[in-house]
Amino acid sequence: MALFPIIGRFAGDFVPHLAAVDTEDTFDQIAEKVAVHSVGRRMPENPAADGYEVLLNGDILPGDQRLEELMAETPVLPLQWFEVRWKE
Amino acid sequence: MALLNRDDWYDIARDVDWTLKYVDRDEAFPEEWVGAKGIPLEAWEDWDEPFRVSYREYVMVQREKEAGVSAIREAMVRAKAYQQLDDGHKASTQLHMGTTCMVEQMAVTMQSRFSRFAPCARWRSLGAFGMLDEIRHAQLDMRFSHDLLNEDPRFDWCQKAFHTNEWGVLAVRNFFDDVMLNADCVEAALATSLTVEHGFTNIQFVAMASDAMEAGDVNFSSLLSSIQTDEARHAQLGFPTLDVVMKHDPKRAQQILDVSFWRAFRLFQTLTGTSMDYYTPVEKRKMSFKEFMLEWIIKHHERILRDYGLKKPWYWSQFEEALEHGHHAMHIGTWFWRPTLFWKPNAGVSKAERRWLNEKYPSWDDSWGVLWDEIIKNVNDGKMEKTYPETLPALCNITQLPLGSALDRHHLGCHQVVHEGRVYHFDSEVSKWIFELEPERYAGHMNVVDRFIAGQIQPMNLEGGLQWMSITPEVMGDDAYGYAWAQDYKDMRVAA
Repeated sequence: MALFPIIGRFAGDFVPHLAAVDTEDTFDQIAEKVAVHSVGRRMPENPAADGYEVLLNGDILPGDQRLEELMAETPVLPLQWFEVRWKE
Repeated sequence: MALLNRDDWYDIARDVDWTLKYVDRDEAFPEEWVGAKGIPLEAWEDWDEPFRVSYREYVMVQREKEAGVSAIREAMVRAKAYQQLDDGHKASTQLHMGTTCMVEQMAVTMQSRFSRFAPCARWRSLGAFGMLDEIRHAQLDMRFSHDLLNEDPRFDWCQKAFHTNEWGVLAVRNFFDDVMLNADCVEAALATSLTVEHGFTNIQFVAMASDAMEAGDVNFSSLLSSIQTDEARHAQLGFPTLDVVMKHDPKRAQQILDVSFWRAFRLFQTLTGTSMDYYTPVEKRKMSFKEFMLEWIIKHHERILRDYGLKKPWYWSQFEEALEHGHHAMHIGTWFWRPTLFWKPNAGVSKAERRWLNEKYPSWDDSWGVLWDEIIKNVNDGKMEKTYPETLPALCNITQLPLGSALDRHHLGCHQVVHEGRVYHFDSEVSKWIFELEPERYAGHMNVVDRFIAGQIQPMNLEGGLQWMSITPEVMGDDAYGYAWAQDYKDMRVAA
């Protein structure tokens, strides 16, 4: 368990943010931590969506996967860019 | 006895030089400060200044300019003219003073480096005049701001800003540290004198002086005009330097101009784009920032490139796209992170202002209006907490401006480099290219996000950040008009 800084961009917003996540966070939790800086602030809510999904280099990451599990498979450096978007 | 005419003695006087006996030339003129990079010493004999001035003439002209500015300043202070100005225009003056005054002071150091280390005597002679110019500019900004301290404590930031960690100031300081204080004479002349001063600020000051006059700010207009006349003269030092470099190392000239043009443009978008298209009262605007750039800056830059046999930068199409969007990004960003500013930004999105924006930038609503709609809804619903940030925007490791602020939301992409085990992010392919040209030059520059992660900002929250930036309650940014513009959208769907 460790704090880990990432860059999170919510699709449709104009700016990505610094987000402090935990290596034990699942990608569903990471999505929430990124979306909170955009949705309801500059991006309207989307009632038609079924939550969020996280992408790394264009690949959708499983919502129940933990960041540390991904890190065991592939190197993830601090300030890695993750994309978050509505799951529709 | 009659004095000789200037032209009878000028060529001898400007070339007065030392014949070195006790030190090697390389010791007296170290390469790291001269920056000739293989251009032979005799090549600099072709360096010929485009203007001629003697010290006697210089002092006489400057004295008259000083008297002119001083007379207007005293009259305007007595008339309390500042109190009559629009709040949006006031934001422009505060932003200008905070981000410009110490750049003028940095330019004193750059010009004094020319006067000591430039590769030929005539350039060194003219550097002395440039140095005196820049001392005058910094002092004029300080005097103007000092007069207005009783009107608004934000004018204290004229002197204070560059001694703080305010994020926007850090971005400005990073660029000028690099191209004024850290650069050798040749690079500084091409990047600063030619690109920044001659290409951008010289023309910008003319436009800003005109806008200030239109807004009724005679004092600020007079100050800018007086400074501009100096800039127009000493900025020309870049041309003879470019002449020499083009004969011996045209590739280097192209690279310095391409790098500095992009970096200067990004700051110009931030400081001037926001002022022209948002802070200036809509009824006073003569042209949009984009129109101004196309009419004055771009034509001018293209002409210089053409005249000297240089190519347009490889990124020209990206530059044109950025011209459409970047300053709108910087504006919504600075407004949203407004507690981190030392001035009060005007949102500039009332219905009338929005009509103007859509007329000038037909894709404005699709790129920016939808984001403002959510902000407006929150303001009108009383959800003010949703109109403030809870974290930092990700920042570029070249411009130190937010990622996403070069273009719009439809063009935002990840431009990242891993260098020696660390991730670096860039606001564009262009900034990434700049980093990759000289990674060792830029890799150690820490932006605010880097400093945050390094633990320099404590406590690690907004309050700690504001304290670290020296933002105090009396200067902290807030909406210039107290959100009155949002009333335009009350009782209606803003997106309609």
